[in-house]
Amino acid sequence: MAEEIRKPESKSSAVKKLQATAAAGAYQKEWFAGLKKRVENGEDFGYLNADVPMEVLRAMDIPFVVNQWWAAICGAKRMTPKYYGLLREKGYRDDLCSYCATAFAESLDPDDHKVDADGKPLGPWGGLPDPTIAITRLTCDCQGKIFELFAKNHGASFYAMENTVARKVPLRWFDMAADDWEDLYDKDRLDTAVEELNELVRFLETKTGKMFDINRLERVMNLINEQEMWYKKTRDLIASCHPVPVTVVDTINAVMQAQWQRGTEWAAAHAKSLYEEVKALADKKEAAVPNEKYRLMWLGRGIWHDFSFYQRFEKKYGAVFMWSMYLAMGADAYIRNHVEEDPMRALAARYIGMEDFLHMPPWNSQWYLQQAHQNDIDGVVYMVPENCMQAVEGSYFIKKTLEDAGIPVLIFKADPVDARKWNADTMTDLVDRFIEERVIPAHDAAKK
Amino acid sequence: MSIRECAMNSAAFAQLKHAYDNRDEAAENAKKAGKIVVGELGADVPDEILLAADIFPVHVYANPEKPLRETDKYLEYAFDPVVRAQFEKIVDGTYARKINYLAVSNSTDVIIRIYLYLRELHRQEPEKDLPEVAFIDWLFTRNRMHQVRNELTADLFKQTVEKWSGKTLTDGDIVSAAKICNADRDALRKICSLRRGAEVRLSGTEALVIIGSAFFMDRQKHTELVNALYEEAKSWPVISGPKIYFTGSDQEDLSLYEMIESTGAVVTGEDHNWGDRYYDRDFNMDYTPMRAVVDRYMLREFSSKKAFVSQRVGALNRETKEAGAEAVIFYTNIYEEAASWDYPSQKKSLESRGIRTACFPKMQWPAEKNEGLREKLAAFTDSLKGGGN
Repeated sequence: MAEEIRKPESKSSAVKKLQATAAAGAYQKEWFAGLKKRVENGEDFGYLNADVPMEVLRAMDIPFVVNQWWAAICGAKRMTPKYYGLLREKGYRDDLCSYCATAFAESLDPDDHKVDADGKPLGPWGGLPDPTIAITRLTCDCQGKIFELFAKNHGASFYAMENTVARKVPLRWFDMAADDWEDLYDKDRLDTAVEELNELVRFLETKTGKMFDINRLERVMNLINEQEMWYKKTRDLIASCHPVPVTVVDTINAVMQAQWQRGTEWAAAHAKSLYEEVKALADKKEAAVPNEKYRLMWLGRGIWHDFSFYQRFEKKYGAVFMWSMYLAMGADAYIRNHVEEDPMRALAARYIGMEDFLHMPPWNSQWYLQQAHQNDIDGVVYMVPENCMQAVEGSYFIKKTLEDAGIPVLIFKADPVDARKWNADTMTDLVDRFIEERVIPAHDAAKK
Repeated sequence: MSIRECAMNSAAFAQLKHAYDNRDEAAENAKKAGKIVVGELGADVPDEILLAADIFPVHVYANPEKPLRETDKYLEYAFDPVVRAQFEKIVDGTYARKINYLAVSNSTDVIIRIYLYLRELHRQEPEKDLPEVAFIDWLFTRNRMHQVRNELTADLFKQTVEKWSGKTLTDGDIVSAAKICNADRDALRKICSLRRGAEVRLSGTEALVIIGSAFFMDRQKHTELVNALYEEAKSWPVISGPKIYFTGSDQEDLSLYEMIESTGAVVTGEDHNWGDRYYDRDFNMDYTPMRAVVDRYMLREFSSKKAFVSQRVGALNRETKEAGAEAVIFYTNIYEEAASWDYPSQKKSLESRGIRTACFPKMQWPAEKNEGLREKLAAFTDSLKGGGN
């Protein structure tokens, strides 16, 4: 596995072209300002890890922020060096769990809600309002500990949800997830997850005084199905285009931000607008990279602090990062049809699989292979997080599965939110060499 | 100090030490005699169910000398060194020759990954010499859900054991096995009481041998030896020196405790699974067997891996009080990170009660690999004796 060398981070920024990406960014700011007002007015506010079934809070109209989204904002605002310094000052390690520890570290910042002499906020987007509820799932040993510390600092109630391991692992989960979800899982796992959801509802009802209405959950679930259906159409469209009309720089931002708004009318409409915009570009035969020669798949979380990284290989090689999990997970992992039969069970069938699809072999490796084929991938760049056990996901099996199919894989270690150890030059060189030494020869050999 | 002459001269201790040092011997003999041998990986495999089926359970242990040829191929860097070494012996076929089956409990993240990887190796590389694996997927949160789910989990494991042994397990079988386990835990509690109180008569290193030998020998024989040893050890010389509580990584061997105790301190308690935590909490005979299994394994004192910070702070406060500790050593192997999040809160709480602490994170394994560790430990002990800061 390649190692990076510590150097100052890149200051370059990525070029985004889609209206939908800009619209998502603009909406986020407006939504966040509204959320802050609601919190200031005394409403309960939830802070959730990404794998928590946020649909319950959506249905109950409890405002919430997703940890991974917020960590990405902090990373993009380059706040993390300051935050990890605060961790160190308080006796915590500053080299662990960066994705989950960022918000906890922020909670140690006395300046988070202050402004500088020019009136500019010191915290990202003016800082995170104090949550009254912090919910995580116990999908790794550290997460519960960090969320409890975070909750304590904010004076929030801490709530933990369990995680179970799949015994039944049908290889082509992506063919079953939308319609055959009952058969996708062990029945007892689903039963437990439904019980857990019922417990969560009781906790939230007691905490907030709001009533949970199953009809609202059904509406939320249907809106999500609609939103994810548009992602599926978008993913399928991009996969079929040679050259592709957009790259991951656009799709990651457009999809990730809207994904955390899932279950709203806005998110469903936004997903539709994304599809229509990409379709219009495809119809015009517009190329994101006019000299597209090599199609690259990005495995792992986004490099939030250096998004331009993805674009550094376009001019030189015609190599385009055109696939990431962010759009494809929406397409394959979220849709759950037949909601009306039992909305709570359909939701259980969505959230318990999220970790498994991404982090459990063979579900992750088989899906990546199927996606590599669908997208005519020439090479895979796979970022293994530096300090996150949750994302230890069988990289040997993933690499082997893809390379056995003739698709070269580059694995490297990096941190998605901590810019301190990122060296743009070293990383660019690494991918340069990979393209020259592995991707191009494999592509040429396949052509012959 | 570590293992003293009084211990070495004891016939009972010598037999326990022999089992501790020759970890495969009893299992090999049991296998030759036709018994099924099951390896246990993770601290929450219910022995009661295995013993009820007349199975010989042994702990999977690491060999620090063995090169990690296979492991380096399959495991990411983020697995701690002990688990890496354990995995090597599973994946290179060593354990396939020693055990019939492997039972894995989800006691920590890395072990869950080990299970997933072994399952995938069975599927993708069936030519590999790997034992059949059963996975025990407990819920660790202590609320109503844990009982709803965990009785099912225990029952699924029981069904697997029945398949392995070809024997249907009755409630009576499990209760009989539980009596054996409870008797052993009781014997360990009794002898380890000699580590506590005003007069300490058992060193931490000696205690590790006495406790750890249970993982590699017949359980009833172990109980007999521990009970016999207790009668002798009651009159062993009193050990002086600062009383240290150890929290952190499992200590599968004696080297770190020997190092600590060679500085003149004595380890009077620990929270890891090769020490005091092993004999904490009995199988409650008043409960139905599956409920008692769940109660025993899930309601022990909190482990460092599967508990929240506040729970770990409370646990360490209770344990250090019971162990009469003057100081606490926090010691974790590299990539064994979960306890790092507990440490600042635990330190604060301990120090508010006048208990000194020393922290050794990101340590190499085995302990001898850490340059300057002995000197740092000596300086800490010296400071506890009033000789430094």
